[in-house]
Amino acid sequence: MRYLVGFGNYTSYDDSIGLRIVEHIAERGLEQGFRALDLSTNSLDLVSYLNADTEAVLIVDSARMGMAPGEVHFFTPEEVESRKEPGHLSTHEGDVLKVLELARAMGYPEPPILIMGIEPERVTSEIGLSKALEERLPGYAAAAITRLRDL
Amino acid sequence: MTKDLTINVHHLTRVEGHGNIVVNVSNGAIETCEWQVPEAPRFFEAMVRGRHYTEVARITSRICGICSVGHTLASLKATEAAPGIRISEQTRRLRELLKHAENFDSHVLHVYFLAAPDLLGVPSVFPLVATHGEVVARALRLKRLAHEWGSLIGGRTTHPTTAVPGGFARLPTARQLDELKQRLLAAVPDLAATLDTIVALAPRVPVFNRPTEYVALSADAQYGLYDGLVQSVLPDGRKERYPVASYRSVTNEYVVPASTAKYARHKLDSYAVGALARFNNNYDTLHPEAKKAAARLGLKPICTNPYMNTIAQVVEIVHSAHDGLRLIDELLADGIRDEGLVAPTTCASGAGAVEVPRGILFHEYAYDRDGMCLGGNCVIPTNQNHANIQHDFEKLVPELLAAEKGEKEVELSLEMLVRAYDPCVSCSTHYLDVTFVR
Repeated sequence: MRYLVGFGNYTSYDDSIGLRIVEHIAERGLEQGFRALDLSTNSLDLVSYLNADTEAVLIVDSARMGMAPGEVHFFTPEEVESRKEPGHLSTHEGDVLKVLELARAMGYPEPPILIMGIEPERVTSEIGLSKALEERLPGYAAAAITRLRDL
Repeated sequence: MTKDLTINVHHLTRVEGHGNIVVNVSNGAIETCEWQVPEAPRFFEAMVRGRHYTEVARITSRICGICSVGHTLASLKATEAAPGIRISEQTRRLRELLKHAENFDSHVLHVYFLAAPDLLGVPSVFPLVATHGEVVARALRLKRLAHEWGSLIGGRTTHPTTAVPGGFARLPTARQLDELKQRLLAAVPDLAATLDTIVALAPRVPVFNRPTEYVALSADAQYGLYDGLVQSVLPDGRKERYPVASYRSVTNEYVVPASTAKYARHKLDSYAVGALARFNNNYDTLHPEAKKAAARLGLKPICTNPYMNTIAQVVEIVHSAHDGLRLIDELLADGIRDEGLVAPTTCASGAGAVEVPRGILFHEYAYDRDGMCLGGNCVIPTNQNHANIQHDFEKLVPELLAAEKGEKEVELSLEMLVRAYDPCVSCSTHYLDVTFVR
């Protein structure tokens, strides 16, 4: 099985982009040959999908990367270092990179994993998306599906 | 006695959300001693205005990333109370099973990943991989079980999709329920091992007692997580019950300068909600296996040590697993029936309550005759605990100073106290913050 996993907080504006992509895919019946999952802020739940028969995982999430708002970059967990305070796994401090580090240390299977980072414009306590991201939502979904299939 | 001390913990870690601890002691006099909540309001009660009754639970579920099942169920109960929708027995059992999944999931996260590091003297779960690898492996197994349990019943664990007004949009099959039963039975050794671990750590739980009022849902026939009346138990053991519809007479919310969140009080200056409050109110209706767990852990009602809330969560993990098995057996015995959704007959206003991991949660809505929401009110458990945390601080800090505790010890004691309440201040952000190294 291939998984497209969205992380984020639906009520924190551009932080919700990963969940919006999953929602877009589900609403349009684009979930074919893979499962699209909304894991919200519960990054620890990713371990449920790190199985021996998992073919690939594409994580979609907002990411502060120093790029222009709305820009996308695909990267593997090995290509980055988290700037977040280490070791905290509450749903508020959750960091999927830390969860992957924990899973690796505990011997969980490591399927091919790719992260689709999308630079947020604004992360505030509000439901919605900034224009820079909303306009590109269909493109993000299409790109995510293509990369997951090729992974 | 400690004479001078300055503690300023900005955004306490290993709690859900943002809270600050500020203590200043000068020449033996306590000048400031505060639990501060600086979170901005999020206006969910405004967001539901003008929305159809079928949409409201999907919106309010987003209030919380951990208690989203509870927010969904409290919202559904309030919405269903308004037009007098009476759900089927099958729906009630499935919702109870879903509620157990959420409490089990959240308690495993809190006990193993947020509280245990304090008891083991490490800053996070990561150092435990090397020193307590089997404990971490077990924690991940239980967390995984909880997630998959909730996903089966709710469509997904976070922000469930299947629980809707009047019933379920999609039902688990008998085979899926039987598979869940087998997985829960297979987890019993992990529950026993959890007890062994926590029994070994229990002597490290700080001893601090402050009698207060405890409020929880309560029912005669079952441990009140999904259904019941609002019950209060006072330090002398007196209990009183109130209809859910009159919840405002219990919560009595008010504002204070140190916090953007509302505080609550009832018979005393403050009250507590959460696992310990449920345990103190409803010990008699715990599953027998959970009572055995409580005995091993040395937990007896009425316990007035707030640090023991984490221990009460362990008791509830055992309860949810075993009561979940009972519910599955009942569902399988009656057979899963494809029922239609129960439709409303009228629209008015209604209130609903469930117990989420952190305590009793109230939702209330008013609807017009077309089923459009006119307004809502949500009272979350963490807000009901803020005043109690503040009063605990006011008793604990002088005790620690009198015991000649230094700044770091006082700070850790206060941090552990707040973490014991397992506060979920409000959902914050999650985005990755990275530097490219290749």
